[in-house]
Amino acid sequence: MSDSQAFLQLDHRIQRYLWSESWEALREVQELAIPLILPGDRDVIIAASTASGKTEAAFLPALTHMLRQREESLIVYISPLKALINDQFARLQRLCENLEIPVWPWHGDIGAASKHKFAQNPQGVLLITPESLEATLCNRGTSIAAMFKRTTFIIIDELHSFIGSERGKQLQSLLHRIETVLGRDVPRIGLSATLGDIALATKFLRPDRPVAIVDVPSAGGELRVLVKGFEEPIVDRAMHTEDGPRAEQAPLAISRHLFKALRGSNNLVFPNSRREVERYTHLLNILCDEDRRPKEFWPHHGNLSNEIRNETETALKQHEHPATAVCTSTLELGIDIGAVRSVVQIGTPPSVASLRQRLGRSGRREGEPSILRGYVIEDALDEKSGLASQLRLDTVQMAAVVSLLLEHWWEPPAVHGAHYSTFIQQLLSAIAQYGGLKAAQAFQLLCATYAPFEGVPKHDFAELLRTLGKEEVLTQDHSGLLLHGRIGDKIVNHYSFYAAFVSDEEFRIVTSGKTLGTLPVSQMLTPKQRILFGGRTWIVEEIDEAHKTIHVAPAQGGAPPLFNGGAGRVHTCVRQRMRELYMARGVVPFLDTTAQRFLEEGREAFKCLALQDQVVLDQGSQMILVTWRGDSANEAIACLLMARGLHASAGRLGVEVQRSGRSHGEIESILADVASSPVPPLDELLARASNLVRQKWDSLLSPHLLHETYASLNLDLDEAKNWLASIPMLAVSRQADDPAKDLL
Amino acid sequence: MNAPIRPKDRDAIIQSLRAGVVPRRGQHLIQVGRSHEVEALVADIDRVADGGSSFRFVIGEYGAGKTFFLNLVRTIAMERKLVVANADLNPDRRLQASGGQARSLYAELMRNLATRTKPYGGALPGAVEKFVATAKSEAEKQGVATEQIIHSRLEELTELVHGYDFADVISAYCRGAEEGNEQLKSDAIRWLRGEFATRTDARAALGVRTIVDDASVYDQLKLMARFVRLAGYAGLFVCLDELVNIYKLANSQARSGNYEQILRMLNDSLQGTSVGLGFVLGGTPEFLMDTRRGVYSYAALQSRLAENTFAAGGLVDYSGPVLRLSSLALEDFYLLLRKIRHVYAGGAPDRYLLPDSAITCFMEHCAKRLGDHFFRTPRTTITSFINLLAILEQNPGTDWAMLIGGLEVQPDEGGKGDLAIEPEDELASFRL
Repeated sequence: MSDSQAFLQLDHRIQRYLWSESWEALREVQELAIPLILPGDRDVIIAASTASGKTEAAFLPALTHMLRQREESLIVYISPLKALINDQFARLQRLCENLEIPVWPWHGDIGAASKHKFAQNPQGVLLITPESLEATLCNRGTSIAAMFKRTTFIIIDELHSFIGSERGKQLQSLLHRIETVLGRDVPRIGLSATLGDIALATKFLRPDRPVAIVDVPSAGGELRVLVKGFEEPIVDRAMHTEDGPRAEQAPLAISRHLFKALRGSNNLVFPNSRREVERYTHLLNILCDEDRRPKEFWPHHGNLSNEIRNETETALKQHEHPATAVCTSTLELGIDIGAVRSVVQIGTPPSVASLRQRLGRSGRREGEPSILRGYVIEDALDEKSGLASQLRLDTVQMAAVVSLLLEHWWEPPAVHGAHYSTFIQQLLSAIAQYGGLKAAQAFQLLCATYAPFEGVPKHDFAELLRTLGKEEVLTQDHSGLLLHGRIGDKIVNHYSFYAAFVSDEEFRIVTSGKTLGTLPVSQMLTPKQRILFGGRTWIVEEIDEAHKTIHVAPAQGGAPPLFNGGAGRVHTCVRQRMRELYMARGVVPFLDTTAQRFLEEGREAFKCLALQDQVVLDQGSQMILVTWRGDSANEAIACLLMARGLHASAGRLGVEVQRSGRSHGEIESILADVASSPVPPLDELLARASNLVRQKWDSLLSPHLLHETYASLNLDLDEAKNWLASIPMLAVSRQADDPAKDLL
Repeated sequence: MNAPIRPKDRDAIIQSLRAGVVPRRGQHLIQVGRSHEVEALVADIDRVADGGSSFRFVIGEYGAGKTFFLNLVRTIAMERKLVVANADLNPDRRLQASGGQARSLYAELMRNLATRTKPYGGALPGAVEKFVATAKSEAEKQGVATEQIIHSRLEELTELVHGYDFADVISAYCRGAEEGNEQLKSDAIRWLRGEFATRTDARAALGVRTIVDDASVYDQLKLMARFVRLAGYAGLFVCLDELVNIYKLANSQARSGNYEQILRMLNDSLQGTSVGLGFVLGGTPEFLMDTRRGVYSYAALQSRLAENTFAAGGLVDYSGPVLRLSSLALEDFYLLLRKIRHVYAGGAPDRYLLPDSAITCFMEHCAKRLGDHFFRTPRTTITSFINLLAILEQNPGTDWAMLIGGLEVQPDEGGKGDLAIEPEDELASFRL
């Protein structure tokens, strides 16, 4: 070790500590990072896989830098998870005890006494979550300068998880606000898993300057994947109605399998909706009971009552007994559980990136593999089976997502989002911090060049302020100072204000006053659209955004549309991969025999429908444009068609167009016309769409800004236009002897 | 008007006006108008000096001269042998808090404690010393131990909240004075100034179990009022300015906590239960009237502070707890500038740098440049007037008419935070 240059540069107390801990050598990432960080004059990104020692790569030189300072200084470490902070605290505490540097964990579970003590003498290492940092800026606005005055480094852990998300925007804004108060830049160090696009990460970390990069690609830890298929046998459909409890076989079988595989260890289970969360927790805990074991499975989703949630969180936090969290897809950030053994995905995952993110929770300890267990359920086929069942879309999509994951591909983060929702939060928080802001000051703080909301034009900002004023979120005193209005006061003074992301929103589906259930809806809906719920087709009558309710009526006849809610948005690459899987032959190694059989059945149907070169599927009352594009493109195509008066919606195969009496030719000519004419303005495109509210404070936006922020994240008009321009219009087959006709 | 003005007073006034701050002495030389308001406050001061209590809100727009008015009142109070404490509120100094901000306000008040002999603050040790001295002379007169006199006098304090500890601290000071123990004396003063942060320290130093903390600020002020009367002063007069900072607090609980303290003060003084204690609080109309965030958001205060509904259409009532400062009228302005000229000339009319006609001309110029701002914020006008006088004084023979034409007067941009604003910004004058 003594021949290492980097090692010799460390403080001798740290050297001694490493000797006593019998480190044999510094890891590669540490060798590279130490000389870069040590001077404390630049921003650094350290990208390496989990358990490669990148935390030490940041902390060893940062602490050395600190020990060399003549006066006491502060390192701020920001982590997305409380559990990570607790882990980090335990690790750093041992090192820092020898160095006589205090370590301060600071998050929602830390008592006021410790926080107070830190505020008295802010020095050492502060471990904090973005939400706690937000609360600090909000509530201790006047003492921020004093608190962070001596900051030498800001270390951001899990940098990749922040990029492109609301929380990422929030974090950028927080860092910017702290630096504005301090009047100087603080070197930022980003710790990240292997990054897809380094340029995105550097721009995220520091928009206005180049960033030093330590990128140590590694083979990565071992990854074990298995996708199991389960078939739900056909039951007499008359036996159950939509409100009667269904005795489904497949979930029970999955539960039994899960129970056998998971009991006795910590795991994360992701079914795709709240209803499923409740069901699997219930089933699994019955099995626990039968086995005379204490409860090991805990539900976690946004709609839990406080007591249950607390109970769950305590269960996940303790270390004595094994605990597995069963949680909804949208809440993955909210689950505070440390290292887990395996991750379970029931049903198709929302995206490759989120699956990767989830998988990152397992295999964190050295020598432990990451384990992913996927489960898919498909209905047994009969003559009434719909298109989705025939094509085995769930299985194929799952296989596509997992195969992309194995190839280290994932969706690029959506960095182009307008993030007006987070902007509102930051605006309100900055007003609290400064005790009121002038409009121009607020603009200068948040939207100037290289500020986090750089792209917001002045007139949009003014529109935003006016809308907020109208909603009583903001008010203005006569000197022009913006202050919180009646509603704004309530928002800011509630503890939920500090988090930029929403916890898990689902829509209630109601028909004639009766609630059918809840459904996560990630696509926009328009009245008259048809949705599949509880095994039946419904027509959307009204969407009540304030109460998160969709009013539906039973739809008569017709083939059920493919839209069935579902979580997450599918990227074009996933759809393309699905197409490749359909067209390929042979065995996919990570599928078990049942899942492999599903895949073969899907391939068979694909061939029958001649989907390899078919663009338009005629299904009687509706036509499906088979695009093999991502949801953003499909939705954009649907929007373009709706602007022409057609009823169209994005589905899993492409875009579904209701014929409503139009002939094939008419629709084709509309398509051709849309392809050749320019894109109408956004407000026109989205005029009829409802449930555009995606992010936490979107509901406070004016329609125009809402359209903009929605489109920036969810519509890909360019891709839509390209696809429309590329379709050969006459590839539609209408022959009576089309084998597809028989299947439908 | 023709009495010469001492150069010390003249410089103090001119320099502070030029810097845009309110002078701490000699306000009477440039006070114009508002005689009723001053009378009302003088009546308050007399009541306090008489062992009574008073409570007033001085409400005026930003730049209407609240601070000037408060300083004038402060000077008058000192003349009437009152002890005066003043402080500006800010987010870290407020009436009620849990993180030491209230104690910080108390410490500021005590640091700024002023008497006629010590008009710029720091009068607390003097006041305690005076208490000891009077006790000593009394003891000599009666031929008993000083200790005994002190005890009998402090007896009165112990009936109040925290009174025992307060009395103990004063006794500790006396003991220190007796034994020549300077450490004990300064510890006692530190305690009285609210500078002990923990009980343990206070106990080690003085043997008392409590300290002045966030919860006891108002109680300590009441004790202090009694104490200064025992020391031979007429009472305690507390001036709090910039109360708009409470209005700006983002946390609604913190706001209502502060209003609760104001309610306590108001109740005590209007019922006459506090002795020798007067409050005057300066704030903007929004701070008072806003029913959502302002004082009026606290229902109990709103009903107590409701203004006399008959006082409308030219009828006035200066006896209510709310005193409104109207903007200066044109005549007041004229008088004010004349007085400044008078002060600048050191009180000698033959050394006036400008004729009366120049003042009129100057005012017209400013009114044109500033419009509405001219009346609302006299600060900038005064500053540039003094700048003009300075040029004329140092460049004899210059023509004032030329200078006035080229004079730049900026609108008052007070209250700007520390974030820079790009000039010529459409958002700079943004209205919802």
